[in-house]
Amino acid sequence: MRRHFPGVMRYSIPFVVMSALAMPAAVLAHHAFAAEFDSSKPFKIRGTIVKMEWINPHTWLHLDVKRPDGKTERWMIEGGPPNALYRRGFNKDSLPQGAELVVEGFRAKDGSLKGNGRELTFADGRRLFVGSSGTGAPNDGKDPQGSKE
Amino acid sequence: MTARHTVSTLALAVFIAVAIATSGAQQTSTAQPDSTSPWKQTTTPWGDPNLQGVWRYEAAIPLERPARFEGRESLSDEEVKESQRLEDEQAKQRLAGAEGAAVGRRSVAESPIRGNEYNSFWQDHGRPRQVFRQTSLVVDPKDGRLPYTPDARKAEARSSARYGAGPYESYLDPDTGERCLTDGVTALMWQGPNGGHNRIVQSQGYVTILHEEYLDRRVIPTDGRSHGTIRQWFGDAVGKWEGSTFVVDTINFIDRTNYEWASIFTRPSETLHIVERFTRTGADAMEYRITVEDPTTFEKPWTAVIPITRLADGTQIYEYACHEGNYAMTNLLAGGRVDAAKRPR
Amino acid sequence: MTRQLRSSVVGVVVAAVVVALGAMWLFQTTTTSQSASQAYQPARTADGKPDLNGIWQALNTANFDIQGHAARPGLALMPAAPRSGVAGLVRATHVELPHPSVRPLGAVGGVPAGESVVEGDEIPYQPWAVAKKKENFDHWLERDPEIKCYMPGVPRATYMPYPFQILQGTDKIVMAYEFAGASRTVHLDTVPDSPAPTWMGWSRGRWEGDSLVVEVTDFNEDTWFDRAGNFHSDALHVTERYTPTSADHLMYEATIEDPKVFSRPWKIRMPLYRRIEQGKKLLEYKCVEFVEEMMYGHLGVVDPATGQKNK
Repeated sequence: MRRHFPGVMRYSIPFVVMSALAMPAAVLAHHAFAAEFDSSKPFKIRGTIVKMEWINPHTWLHLDVKRPDGKTERWMIEGGPPNALYRRGFNKDSLPQGAELVVEGFRAKDGSLKGNGRELTFADGRRLFVGSSGTGAPNDGKDPQGSKE
Repeated sequence: MTARHTVSTLALAVFIAVAIATSGAQQTSTAQPDSTSPWKQTTTPWGDPNLQGVWRYEAAIPLERPARFEGRESLSDEEVKESQRLEDEQAKQRLAGAEGAAVGRRSVAESPIRGNEYNSFWQDHGRPRQVFRQTSLVVDPKDGRLPYTPDARKAEARSSARYGAGPYESYLDPDTGERCLTDGVTALMWQGPNGGHNRIVQSQGYVTILHEEYLDRRVIPTDGRSHGTIRQWFGDAVGKWEGSTFVVDTINFIDRTNYEWASIFTRPSETLHIVERFTRTGADAMEYRITVEDPTTFEKPWTAVIPITRLADGTQIYEYACHEGNYAMTNLLAGGRVDAAKRPR
Repeated sequence: MTRQLRSSVVGVVVAAVVVALGAMWLFQTTTTSQSASQAYQPARTADGKPDLNGIWQALNTANFDIQGHAARPGLALMPAAPRSGVAGLVRATHVELPHPSVRPLGAVGGVPAGESVVEGDEIPYQPWAVAKKKENFDHWLERDPEIKCYMPGVPRATYMPYPFQILQGTDKIVMAYEFAGASRTVHLDTVPDSPAPTWMGWSRGRWEGDSLVVEVTDFNEDTWFDRAGNFHSDALHVTERYTPTSADHLMYEATIEDPKVFSRPWKIRMPLYRRIEQGKKLLEYKCVEFVEEMMYGHLGVVDPATGQKNK
C-alpha cells in the first residue's frame, strides 16, 4: 500500500509558515476511498455496537440500527487502523458491546449497509474521529498521488 | 448514566490520561544520542552485537531527492536548524489535533489540523520527526534518484496513475498490499502502512526481524551456511557479522513482477539481489544501508542509507490481521461492478 | 584348606560381591534414567536456560481431528441415502461419501486414521456446544479457517503439518510458523495486557524447571482446533508446556480452558520432533494468493480463472 511514501501533505496551519524547507510529511494515501465509498452519499445513523473486528488496516464496527419502522438493520462501519489506535491508548474497552453510537460517514458505493466512518459520537456527547483523509474524501487534505517528494 | 456508559466514559478518561502521559514519554525518547554518557555496543550472551528492540524510521528524508535540492547531497547547518524548528511546530499541531479529536473535545471542523487526524493516527507521530542532513535516502546514484529502466519507469508511472483509481475488475487489480500479501522486503525496515515498526530478536545463530504489517517476517541464519535454492517472496537470506555490522545477502526471489505493486521499487524478480548492512550507532540509533541490484527493474544498482530509531523499552508489536477480514477487497470489487454498470456500452 | 587359599577365596568372593553390587547399582541408575524422561538434561543456552532453539514438527493426524478417528473417505463428507433393496443386505444403511468438492482428489482427499492427542479422548463440550461442533464438522468446507489461509491460532499452529521454529532470545521467544507466515512472540519479560482479541493470542512465558510454560490469552473466537470442527470462544485460555525429552524431542502439552464452551479444562499431549536435516530452514507458505480465486473470483467484474464476466 502506498501509505508510507514520503510526500507533500497539505493542510491548513495558519500560523506556521510553509517555507521551502518544510520537509514533506509521510503521505497517508488511503487506498481507493472513491472506489469503495461514495462521497455524495453521506449518512448519519444511531445504533448499538454488536461487535468490533480488530482488522488491519481498518477496524470494522458492526452496529445494530433500529429503523423508524421498527426493523433492525445491521451496518458495518470502516474505522481507523487498530495498531495505531492501540498506541494511543485505545483498546477493546473503548468501544464495548452494547454501547450506543451515532455514526457519520459516507455510504458504500454499491448501496449496501456499509460505510466509511468519519465521526463517532457516544451517548454522553463525546466524539471520536475515525475518518479517512488524503483520499479524495470530502474536506480532506489532498492526496498528491504519484509525488515522490 | 447506565453502567455501560460509565464504562465507556471511564475508558475515554483513561484514554485521555494515557494519551497525555504517553505523548510526554514519547517526546523524551527521541533518537538524538545522549551525549553525556558515551554509548558502547552491548552483546548478546553468546557474543553477537546486540541490535534488539523495536525499531522504526522516524525521519523526514524523502526516498528520492526532490527537485529543489538537485545537485545537493546535504542540507546546510541553518537549513537543518530551520527544518527541525518546523518539525517541532508541526508535531505540536499534529499532537493537538490528534489528541483533541481523539478524546472528543472537538470535531473535525474544530481541529487545528483539520482533516489530518487520520494521518497522524496512522503514522503515530506524537513526537517530532527527526531531521538529518541527507536530502534523500538514495545516496547512490549521486543524483539521489532511483535508476529505473525505461520499462520500469513506465510501470511506475502506470502504477501511480492506477493507485486508488483502478479499474478494479478482479482481485488481481488491487496492489499486493491491498490484497494483504506484502509490500515486499526492500522497504521493510523503513516503511509500513501503520508506521513500519520492526522488532529485532536475536537467538543463537539467528537474527529475526518481525515487521508489524502483513505478517512479514525474516529469520536470518548467521551460521555461515550457503544460500538455499527455493525461491520466495522474501528470497533466501544469509547473515554474517563484520565487526559490529550485521551484513545480510539475499537472493533467490520469486518473480512477482506481473502483480500490481504500490511501489515498483519493492517488487521481487528472479534477478533481484539485496545486500544490507545494519550498524548500531547509538543506544537508540542504527544506520541501515541497503544496496539493491536488479537488472529487471533498475539500470544499475542503487544504495540508500536510512537512519532508524530504537523505540522505548516496552514498545509492543501488535498482530496485523489483514487477510482475515479483507472487506476492502470485497468493497473494491463491489465498487468496480457499480462503475462497470455505469459505463456506457 | 590352607590359610592362603582361604584368604584368596574370601578375596574373590568379596570382589565378586562388590562387582555384583556395583553392577546392580549401575543397572538401577540406568533404568531409572531411561524410564523417567524428566531426568533428561537438556543442553543450555548461553544465558543458562534449557535450549529449545530449533525447527520442530508434530508427526500425527491431530490437524485432521484431535480425537481418535478411523480413516474416512473424504476431507468433507456427505451422507448417501440408505441402501435398501440390495440382495444380501440385512438392513438399510447409509454410506458416507466424499463431498463433490473434494471427490477429484481421490485418496489424497481422504482422512487417515489416527489416535487421539486428547487425554481421555473426550472433549467436555457443554450441551449446546456439542451441536455446534457437529454443525462445524458438517460445514467444514465453508467454515474451516485453515482453508482460507487464516492464522491458525494456538494450539493448532503447533501440530499443523508444517515445521515451525523456536527462536529463543533472552526476553522474547519467537515462534515462527510456516503456515501463512503466522508468528507468536512469547514474552518472558513483563508486558501489559493485549489491547484487543487476536488470532494467535497474547503469550507470556516462564521457566518451570526445564519446561517452558506459556500462558496464552486474548484470543478471538475465530480459530479452530482441527479440521473436525472443534472450536472455542473468545474466553479461551491455553497453558502450554514445552519439555525437552531428548536432544531431538520436545514433549508438548496444552491445557485448554474455556468456560463458555467446555464444562472443565482438558488437555492435549504429543511429541515434537526436531527437523535434523543439515541447513534446514523454515520456508514460506504465503497461501493468501492460493485462496483468492476461491474467495473473490466470483465477486469482480471479471473472473480471472476463466476470463469471463461474472453475472
